[in-house]
Amino acid sequence: MAFSFKQKSILPGFGLSLGFTVLYLSLIVLIPLSATFLKASSLNWPQFWHIVTAPRAIASYELSFGASAIAAGINLVFGLLVAWVLVRYSFPGKRLFDSMVDLPFALPTAVAGIALTAIYSSHGWIGQYLQPFGIKTAYSRLGVIIALTFTGLPFVVRTVQPVLEDLDKEMEEAAASLGAGRWQTITRVLLPAIMPAALTGLTMAFARAVGEYGSVVFISGNMPMRTEITPLLIITKLEQYDYAGATAIAVVMLVVSFVMLLAINLLQAWSRSRMSTKSSSETGLPQLSQA
Amino acid sequence: MATTFTLRGFGFARSAKTEPVTTEKPLVRWSLIAVAVLFLGVFLFMPLAVVFASALAKGFSVYISALREPDALAAIKLTLLAAGIAVPMNLIFGVAAAWAIGKFEFFGKSFLVTLIDLPFSVSPVVSGLIYVLIFGLQGVLGPWFAAHDIKIIFAVPGIVLATVFVTFPFVARELIPLVQAQGNEEEEAALSLGANGWRTFFRVTLPNIKWGLLYGVILCNARAMGEFGAVSVVSGHIRGRTNTMPLHIEILYNEYRFAPAFAVASLLALLALVTLVVKSVVEGKSEEHEAELRVERIPEPIVVGPEVNAA
Amino acid sequence: MSIETIDISKRFGQFKALDSVDLEIPSGELVALLGPSGSGKTTLLRIIAGLEFADSGAVRFDGKDISDRSARERQVGFVFQHYALFRHMTVFENIAFGLKVRPRLHRPSRAQIRAKVQELLKLIQLETLADRYPSQLSGGQRQRVALARALAVEPSVLLLDEPFGALDAQVRLELRRWLRQLHDEIHITSVFVTHDQEEALEVADRVVVMNNGRIEQVGSPDEVYNHPASPFVYNFLGNVNLFHGRIDGEKTYIHERETGHVVYVRPHLLEIDRQPNGGSHFRARIKHINSAGPLVKVEAVAEWGDPVHIEMSQERFQGLQLIKNESVFVIPKDVKVFQSNEAVKAK
Repeated sequence: MAFSFKQKSILPGFGLSLGFTVLYLSLIVLIPLSATFLKASSLNWPQFWHIVTAPRAIASYELSFGASAIAAGINLVFGLLVAWVLVRYSFPGKRLFDSMVDLPFALPTAVAGIALTAIYSSHGWIGQYLQPFGIKTAYSRLGVIIALTFTGLPFVVRTVQPVLEDLDKEMEEAAASLGAGRWQTITRVLLPAIMPAALTGLTMAFARAVGEYGSVVFISGNMPMRTEITPLLIITKLEQYDYAGATAIAVVMLVVSFVMLLAINLLQAWSRSRMSTKSSSETGLPQLSQA
Repeated sequence: MATTFTLRGFGFARSAKTEPVTTEKPLVRWSLIAVAVLFLGVFLFMPLAVVFASALAKGFSVYISALREPDALAAIKLTLLAAGIAVPMNLIFGVAAAWAIGKFEFFGKSFLVTLIDLPFSVSPVVSGLIYVLIFGLQGVLGPWFAAHDIKIIFAVPGIVLATVFVTFPFVARELIPLVQAQGNEEEEAALSLGANGWRTFFRVTLPNIKWGLLYGVILCNARAMGEFGAVSVVSGHIRGRTNTMPLHIEILYNEYRFAPAFAVASLLALLALVTLVVKSVVEGKSEEHEAELRVERIPEPIVVGPEVNAA
Repeated sequence: MSIETIDISKRFGQFKALDSVDLEIPSGELVALLGPSGSGKTTLLRIIAGLEFADSGAVRFDGKDISDRSARERQVGFVFQHYALFRHMTVFENIAFGLKVRPRLHRPSRAQIRAKVQELLKLIQLETLADRYPSQLSGGQRQRVALARALAVEPSVLLLDEPFGALDAQVRLELRRWLRQLHDEIHITSVFVTHDQEEALEVADRVVVMNNGRIEQVGSPDEVYNHPASPFVYNFLGNVNLFHGRIDGEKTYIHERETGHVVYVRPHLLEIDRQPNGGSHFRARIKHINSAGPLVKVEAVAEWGDPVHIEMSQERFQGLQLIKNESVFVIPKDVKVFQSNEAVKAK
């Protein structure tokens, strides 16, 4: 059983395209990333640990991860709702709303940042109504959550939409004919079917939110220990020429990024296997008795 | 469509008991629609509206003069330059990667795809930091560049590099699944008819992926022009020299010059809207394209039935 | 539970799917709705199920009008062409679903549910696959699970929409026979939709032939095959020869010219002989012989130029020793004559 790197194919250009791909990838991504770990390794372990567990750092993790988790959760609930409404119902202006869902992908983060701050500051379009109730949105943790909800909005919607669209209406009809009420059909048949996709979207929203900078840094107020997000902490350290410190925190963020990436890939694989409708003869799973 | 259909759609023509089983009662439907619309309205439409409202708050002349300031113009130029370099580079990469990954089976393929996705999952600030760590004065290659008086960090090249990094996967991510889904049949047919690799690529592969390609380029460009965090780290914030549009907006904002800040922001917001429109058009076109291809590929269903011997 | 549809009509946009359909299905029968695509048979089935609602007319179960009841309330078991199994549930959970979603008051205990599911698994002969997921089953297995799932709620009516349409020919045959056997055991009123006339004739107690939203004929398989009520039925069920002709008193004449009537003859009801043998006959020249198969198929050209298709047993063929280009006599054993304006062009 010889090991061959590549399956035989008559198509040309493999060497060239793969070579270029790997070269470009290494130059732009891999080498610079390794430089980070290299630099971080100039610190010994106790030093590294001291930096990444400093109170200010911990406070920033709490904020970044905590707010990201809450924002991702909000996006899970509302994202499912929006996806459902866009796929199942029709109403005037639906196409416009559908296109707008991608706005957070297309709009530069700095623009989003100042826009959100303008809305939620005490004289802002929404902020002015919340002010009398003592609810401070801009320059508070709540503001961070709102900004992160904005950035993560498209993820759940866009991962769930195609799955919802592909769902066989016959499954719902079957459930109804078997006596299930509408709510039972939704919770027992539909939601489990779209859960892998929804969770994938949730994880993507969370991963994006943790590293988010531009949308948040204007509305947060950036008070150390209170409303300072982790990316900002990195920049602050850089401005103080504390390269080692900045790198250490960056390593923490990179590790989190890689773990998120892995989780997303696994979730996507799970989602794909769930949606498979091929019979065992096609998927190569063991063929069990005939007919 | 006959009236029966539209009325059914709004759920008014029937009693609750005769609703199709796969939908909810009208009250439930409209409540859900209302909540969804409200949510999207507050989170999406409002921020967009406030950009334009605030930009024009002090009047049109202030708006225009903000855009004509030398620093603003320099920022616009730099933004266009960075995008103008990053997008084509990542386009070529995306195509090469799509060919290698989409058309061939090899060991380590999914690992490679994961690696390509890396920049997507890295925080923008970290993306900028890693270049500082290489090219900065204290960086790995820093001293070499300093000795040759080549400035990367705190200069334009650094900005371009950081932009290339953050927009790295966009085109590839669009094209790889597309190329994979299309299979090798057409290319193999072209080769068997005597075309060489390049010919095959330009005449067979490229037309099939043109919409995905356009879409990837649009997204790549939007991100390239709007990147903030990464560029913020590598640029040094030198006014008029190393400021892109997002950085210029930050400076204006921090100086409480809100109307000019939003004026520049409005340009980027317009770009975002154009991006969304093009995306919409491209999606429509690619669906048409897919539908055409599908019609050609599905064989006629075999009709099972008696042979009729007609006179 | 008997089923009655009274004056059912249904439109989809401009397309008239069903046109004043009246149908009676006695309790306990296995009935086939047979017809080409677009004949309305699936629409009728779905209206009976409560998955669609008619524009006008009524549906009755055991005499009671249930037209306003939703599918959920009608207690029908529905089996879909593409199974519609719940992909994220095991075989066991799929079958148990209908029992688990019952309102608390009527819900059986977990032990009872388990017993019922086991019973059904035994019935469909898939006891060992209870913990598998649908994606791990073959098409035939999935269809059996879909059937068990529908039967689990003990419906009074079983409705099947082209249940074997998505399966391989061999599997189709096996499941066809299995369905027949099942019905003989359970005697539940069943209606299934098919476009395969062989399937309908082999399985059903009664066949309802539909075309263009209307019922052409209702009868036993023997009735619709041997005594078709209209040209369409004749055409749709089995092979047929068409000739111009007319009836004159007791006699039927076959002519070469348009006469306003069409004569239908089944290929196996035409006998070939070298002598006229006294009965009515015409001459034909043999053009092609296909002797591979249980029946021998002979193509000939009648003396007036029309093509003629004849089927005979292998025995008879061996006895005759026909050769190509031979001139023979063709003796019709049974014909049917319809007026030309009823005659249907091949669909």
